[in-house]
Amino acid sequence: MTLVDRKDGVVKINLVDQLRLSVAVSTANTITYIIRSLKLGAASVLPGEIASRIQPRILSLLSRQVKYGVIMIAGTNGKTTTSRLLRKMLENQGWRVVHNEAGANLENGLATALIERTNLFGKLKADYAILEVDENVIPKVLPKIQPKFILCLNLFRDQLDRYGEVDTISQRWSKAIAPLPPDTVVIANADDPTLSHLGQNLTQKVLFFGLSEPQYYLDEIPHAVDSIYCPSCGESLNYQGVYLSHLGDFDCPNCGFKKSKVNIDSSKWPQILIGLYNKYNTLAATLLAQQIGVAESVILETIKTFEAAFGRAEELEISGKKVRILLAKNPVGMNETIRTVNEIKKAGGASTTLMVLNDRIPDGTDVSWIWDVDTEKLVASGGNIVVSGDRVYDMALRIKYSQTNGNNGCKLIVKEDLSEAIATALEHTPVGETLHILPTYSAMLEVRGLLTGKQIL
Amino acid sequence: MNNQQMELKIGWLYPTLMSTYGDRGNVICIQQRAQWHGFNVQVIPLDLQASVTEIHQVDLLVGGGAQDRQQEIVMRDLKGAKATALREKIEAGTPGVFTCGAPQLLGHYYEPALGQRIEGLGLFDFVSKHPGIDAKRCIGNVIFEITASKLAEELTALLGKPPVIIGFENHGGRTYLGKVEALGKVISGYGNNGEDGMEGAFYHNAIATYSHGPVLPKNPFLADWLIKTALQQKYQTNVELQLLDDRLAMQAREAMFKKLGVSELAA
Repeated sequence: MTLVDRKDGVVKINLVDQLRLSVAVSTANTITYIIRSLKLGAASVLPGEIASRIQPRILSLLSRQVKYGVIMIAGTNGKTTTSRLLRKMLENQGWRVVHNEAGANLENGLATALIERTNLFGKLKADYAILEVDENVIPKVLPKIQPKFILCLNLFRDQLDRYGEVDTISQRWSKAIAPLPPDTVVIANADDPTLSHLGQNLTQKVLFFGLSEPQYYLDEIPHAVDSIYCPSCGESLNYQGVYLSHLGDFDCPNCGFKKSKVNIDSSKWPQILIGLYNKYNTLAATLLAQQIGVAESVILETIKTFEAAFGRAEELEISGKKVRILLAKNPVGMNETIRTVNEIKKAGGASTTLMVLNDRIPDGTDVSWIWDVDTEKLVASGGNIVVSGDRVYDMALRIKYSQTNGNNGCKLIVKEDLSEAIATALEHTPVGETLHILPTYSAMLEVRGLLTGKQIL
Repeated sequence: MNNQQMELKIGWLYPTLMSTYGDRGNVICIQQRAQWHGFNVQVIPLDLQASVTEIHQVDLLVGGGAQDRQQEIVMRDLKGAKATALREKIEAGTPGVFTCGAPQLLGHYYEPALGQRIEGLGLFDFVSKHPGIDAKRCIGNVIFEITASKLAEELTALLGKPPVIIGFENHGGRTYLGKVEALGKVISGYGNNGEDGMEGAFYHNAIATYSHGPVLPKNPFLADWLIKTALQQKYQTNVELQLLDDRLAMQAREAMFKKLGVSELAA
């Protein structure tokens, strides 16, 4: 039974579905209003959950009304930054974009974002929808949403207690994408062997982004790597060079599998923010924007004027001192952050780092990942390391075991209380230098709340 | 013979394949502590390319967790002469700590959620099974008391109280012991299977446990026991370790006991 069909570009829905949709939307709006006026939170999940109970097909009914289609963004790291950049590019081109900007990337979060732009008659007005989607939710929402574009950023180990394993996730993705229409466009990271392999085996149109700049190669493969084995045959991959984690230029000596040819020249584009990570994020958004038809001048201008989302390389100024918050929620992310901090340390722009480790649900309750981070490198570059958070002593132990005789006098300061930790870290930061704060997700919200004197809603 | 004249060779099993859960922390912990105690230390990665000779020369073994697919690659490699070498080491009393995926490989077999049964080395008399892709993983902080007689005795003598381990478990597979001795009894958490209250296994001087976290930094006495046992075995002489500053580890332990509502003394 087809409940929705497209005729002359107009979406028609049968009456019962229409009524349920209207009730669902108005109920969701009421809930949002109550939550926000009572300052109970961001209302980024609950309205969608309630609405889905009233109209279980809500995701499908709303996403089909997006004029030019849905863009789905998936990956372990960089979803929020890339989505925000892409959104700005599309808006600067003059399109109306709906986006789950609160970062609520499970099913109910997606529904909530779409409802926000829907009127009481169930009509959604948007040219594009950009939906950041949790890696495990992709298989569940793909049949309902049928995106026009899917952007696969990267696959790293994230929260083991929730997700299990990279191989399993990529197999599920590839199974879920396979039945999508042939005009679906998949944009994937060529430098990630798992995603290169995934892209090479799809029947849809696939475009690749990646780096082609050997000057950025790391000296050695970091410990926190997930996939240095050929996703096709299981043989050890041969790397000409690694850019970060397992992202690099590679080939398989056994079966001939190799890095996909990229459709964008990384050396020709500037990047947003700092760090190689954001170079990848920029390339991904740029390639997608080009496909959609955003003018090159608009893309360039957007990159130049882009500002960070909270906690993603965001900069604040506290009593004349610069503070940079760099969300660090998994080994790969933290390694890359340490690399960035060390470059700034080397240039004399920083000496103190504050690390805040929490173990709440959004952080992952398993903190063992900190032992896969090369904290030795942060210690080796000297200065002060202040640690705090729910698992302050776990972090302190990690730093203690990173100290060797040649640690440049790196000083470890342990502060259970977060406000005290921030105050101490600021005291140790001379005017003119930047304090770098590396928090996990919930710690980032706390840090930011304390620094700006207001809680995030 | 003084400490500077002794060398500890740590054999790290499949570092590129079996390092999913921060278990490298065990290697770092043993390596650093041995150095702080004044010994020379060498870490020998026993990866796919490693030879039988390399396995034979190590004094202590460390193995970590793996994804199911990586585990299969390991088992394809760990056959014939290599398997025999590892078996001989453990039978001869070489100490070792094997967490998560590693112990599954040392038992008779492991049945993953998907795919075929993976045959193990059969060194430890236990079997491991994954109850199915939709089954709940055993995840959370875990506290257990070491009960394996020889180890419990030696650690109690060292600590002056029963040895209690704090760790974090995160495993889909469940392990069921045969005749092998359990490592300990669970105070808080799931342990081997969430049913019989037992955690891990102990055979000769080899420790198999689901407790990662990694296990050693917050239980430094266990790291020191491994170092001491390995060197005594190697040099056939009594080895004395000085006390190290473990205040941070003690604070980390206290914080976890408090969080989980367990009193260490009552444990």
